[in-house]
Amino acid sequence: MTPPDSPRFPAGAPSALPADGVVIARALSQRVATADGELAILSDVDLAVAAGETLAITGASGSGKSTLLGLLAGLDHPTSGKIVLLGQRLDALDEDARARLRAGRIGFVFQSFQLLPALTALENILLPLELAGRTDARERAAHWLERVGLAARAAHTPRQLSGGEQQRIAIARAFATDPQVVFADEPTGNLDADTGARIIELLFDLNARAGTTLVLVTHDDALASRCQRRLRLVAGRVAEAMPA
Amino acid sequence: MKRPTIPLARMLQLGLWLLRRERASGEWRVLLLALVIGVGSVSTTGFLGDRFKRAMSEEGARFLGADLLVTSPRPIDAWPAHRLTQSHALEFASMVSRGDAFQLATVRAIDARYPARGTVKIAAQPFEPGVPGRALPPPGAIHVDQELLPLLNARVGDRVQIGAASFLIAGVVTEEPGQLGGVFGLAPRVFLRADDVAQAEVLQPGSRVTYLYQFAGDGRALAAFTAALKPRLDRTQRLIGAREGVETLRGAFANADRYIQLTALISLLLAVAAIAIAAHRHAVRHYDQAALLRCMGATTADLRTLYIAQLATLGVIGSLAGVALGALLQASLAHLLLPDAVARLPALGATPVLAGVASGLLALAGASAPALLRLVRVPPLRVLRRDLPPLPVAAWISALVSASLLLALTAWYAGEIKLVGIFLGALAALGLVLALLAQLALGLGRGVQKLSYGPLRFGLAQLLRHRFDSTLQLGAFTLALFLVALLALVRSDLVDGWRQQLPADAPNHFLVNIAPHQQQAVAEFLARHRLAASELYPMVRGRLVTKNGQPIEATLPPEQADASTLRRELNLSHTVTLPANNRVVAGQWFGQRRAAEISIEAGMAERLGLALGDELGFVIGDQTIRAAITSIRSVKWDSMQPNFFVIFAAGQLDALPASYLAGVRVPDAASGVLPEFVRSFPGVTVLALDKLIAQVGAVFGQIISAIQLLLGFLLAAGMAVVVATLLASLDARQQEAVLLRTLGAQRAYLAKGLLSEFVALGVLAGLLATVCAEIAMALIAERLFDLPLKLHPWLWLALPAAGALLVGASGWLTTRHITRVPPMQSIRALG
Repeated sequence: MTPPDSPRFPAGAPSALPADGVVIARALSQRVATADGELAILSDVDLAVAAGETLAITGASGSGKSTLLGLLAGLDHPTSGKIVLLGQRLDALDEDARARLRAGRIGFVFQSFQLLPALTALENILLPLELAGRTDARERAAHWLERVGLAARAAHTPRQLSGGEQQRIAIARAFATDPQVVFADEPTGNLDADTGARIIELLFDLNARAGTTLVLVTHDDALASRCQRRLRLVAGRVAEAMPA
Repeated sequence: MKRPTIPLARMLQLGLWLLRRERASGEWRVLLLALVIGVGSVSTTGFLGDRFKRAMSEEGARFLGADLLVTSPRPIDAWPAHRLTQSHALEFASMVSRGDAFQLATVRAIDARYPARGTVKIAAQPFEPGVPGRALPPPGAIHVDQELLPLLNARVGDRVQIGAASFLIAGVVTEEPGQLGGVFGLAPRVFLRADDVAQAEVLQPGSRVTYLYQFAGDGRALAAFTAALKPRLDRTQRLIGAREGVETLRGAFANADRYIQLTALISLLLAVAAIAIAAHRHAVRHYDQAALLRCMGATTADLRTLYIAQLATLGVIGSLAGVALGALLQASLAHLLLPDAVARLPALGATPVLAGVASGLLALAGASAPALLRLVRVPPLRVLRRDLPPLPVAAWISALVSASLLLALTAWYAGEIKLVGIFLGALAALGLVLALLAQLALGLGRGVQKLSYGPLRFGLAQLLRHRFDSTLQLGAFTLALFLVALLALVRSDLVDGWRQQLPADAPNHFLVNIAPHQQQAVAEFLARHRLAASELYPMVRGRLVTKNGQPIEATLPPEQADASTLRRELNLSHTVTLPANNRVVAGQWFGQRRAAEISIEAGMAERLGLALGDELGFVIGDQTIRAAITSIRSVKWDSMQPNFFVIFAAGQLDALPASYLAGVRVPDAASGVLPEFVRSFPGVTVLALDKLIAQVGAVFGQIISAIQLLLGFLLAAGMAVVVATLLASLDARQQEAVLLRTLGAQRAYLAKGLLSEFVALGVLAGLLATVCAEIAMALIAERLFDLPLKLHPWLWLALPAAGALLVGASGWLTTRHITRVPPMQSIRALG
């Protein structure tokens, strides 16, 4: 059994992957049982993302993009294959240990924003900071609210905000804890083209300044082209891996 | 490298912070409401029940003359320490004479504090109502029963001789507590001052004297005193509580007690159901939040801390509010209902308040455990896939947690494990049957749907589409209607029963000590004055001494060894006709048969371990008579008719000296007949029961209003279940309504559809509840309440109608806005 702290694959394992990746996946497969037999959602996916790198995972609907994102972030565990996130083998960790690994170090941006409706804009940003026990939580939340240009909407609840504003709050929430990796799932999927473009600007701007590793899933070519690398999935397999 | 866990304090803080934030958005309203109404109804019934029980004890005490009575053949000098009021009396038989006339009387020598509870009424002349006054006569004087006067040819103001002293008759006792205690064959009563006993010189060493010690005080002091005293008493000494003194009230008290218990239990169950439904809805609404928190790094344990902190806070707030509501309501209602009793009842202490809060928390914990266990196991992946359900929790874990918590709570409320067992077993069986019936009923609904049209068809289609949800809702509505209906049935049957026990023509006077040669004349007198009377029963006094040839004491289980039946003389009778209000429960009534056979009362048979075929020996005068038990009777002691523990078949007692006894109804208009009767038959004692009957009637009246009030509260708890269930389905309904409106359904169409859905649910629930209520009633009526079996035809119409109205109206009220909100707004609200 590999010690959970092992930052690398055990000796003897094929080492075709860059060893210094922040997010590393090897021979990743995800299959589900259906009435018609087993269905492969992901097959044999290999990837590595270096610190500070930006990677776009693209593909048609149902190609397995979001499943891959969920696996990389440790939200789910694969049928087979290995994942290393921030130097930790995820398969050696149970669900709670993976949660502890995420705390304060991983940020998320979702297609449907996922803001808590009862909290104000400021409080939504405050939530992960409080969870991480940051003593300067309130100042940081206010700072990030300002960085996404919504200082004036601090006391507004998500219902009182437009889709674009909600996503800006979600982005501020993702970056507020100074995470090492941000995972974004179709961050512009629910927005019109103009708003989407502005969100992309914001996301990449913040990412560049913070030097965060960014893994995003999208079917939007414009968005994908902003990333340093792109990985295209077709029917759960990597069809193309190239610099954007 | 292992990440540190999030400190507990931080999760607690975060939980409370989120709770505060959600309060503004009204997120907690449903659960809080369910808690407040639930705990409110449980504590209202609890408080009211507690107070009614005390009020009943007070009534009992008024009949007994004390909260606690200790009788002893010897004086008791040392008592456990107590803070009770105490009155001492001694009772003995003595001759009272005036000139040539003399009569055996029961003399009660009393102190100034007699009676400890209740009142004595003294009149200046016989057959006057009398005024409440001191039982204690002035020095050198006595108060007497009115029956004594004609026997001595005396009047108030005359002097009579008791032993060596002469006493002035200062007044007539027309009412005293404990009157019914020794109705039969008692010599007329004389009240004497205890300090006058010595000068009469009637008591010699060895004289038969009963020492009576009356105590009165508050419940806790009494309980402590009773507990300390019990082990000190020997088998010749008796301790009688306020509720045990009067046979007539004992059954009513026991039934009322059971009813109060049942009400508390049912309101608890309804509260738990409402809280469980609200908690489930609450958990479902927090799946997304929990998933997000897990994404941000919260572990299962963190989430558990967070949500338990929230629920506990909510539980304390809701329970306190509920208890406050309960206290407020019961106080104002008790004032309206029992104005006399309330003033004397102690205020609510901290204990019931704490008990209310604790039961609220326990109910919340038990009811929300399954939902909470699911909530903390929401997979974080749900943030990407909204449809992902929480990981299944092993069903037995959540069932075990809930069941054990709720069982503890139920046992606490029911007070006796047997009741809990019966009740929970029945409820579990009911749940199963309900689920099956609900499925079946929905199947029938499909048939009805084919025959209907328009919105009604749509409404029914909705019901059938959400078969699982509909079954759950139907189950919840049925449960609420059923439980409320059950209590309503028990209530009306109990009340009817009590009313029948005191029919308008019940005897209000007993004629005791009729000599055999007076039989004919008394019967003629009664017929001449058209007075309704019972049969004239011969009465012979005797003691039960042997069972199957052995001394009876030796055959008894230890706990019955001091049975009072053995220590006092029994009134034995013989008759060929089974008396009214008697029912043979085992064996056969001997009828005309002349044989050494007896029939005994069921309670006595149970207490003394007697069975059919046992041969009992009685000492009557200087003779011993043996007879075998050939039937066992249940006797309605509260019927006010002459009743007997032991009845002999013809032929055995005939030769023995007997006196006769009859119950007679003297209408108010004919009360002038009584002085004439007393003059015509000076040896016959007339015992007036009318005041007692009026008092018993008043007690029944109070109990009836009390249980009606409790029922009202239960309705509130039932409504809480209905509303919680409806609110729990609100999100799904709203989503659907939005979709349908977007697709072009008109508002009126949707509204009518919803209304038909609710009305159909209500009618179905009403029908199912009727079936359940009839079955449950059949099961518990006889076992718990000693009520006759019967069907309740009106219920079959009333309950479905009530269901339609209740579910229809509350469904309409809770959901009407979803057809009004513009679809766009709803879509955004639903995210």
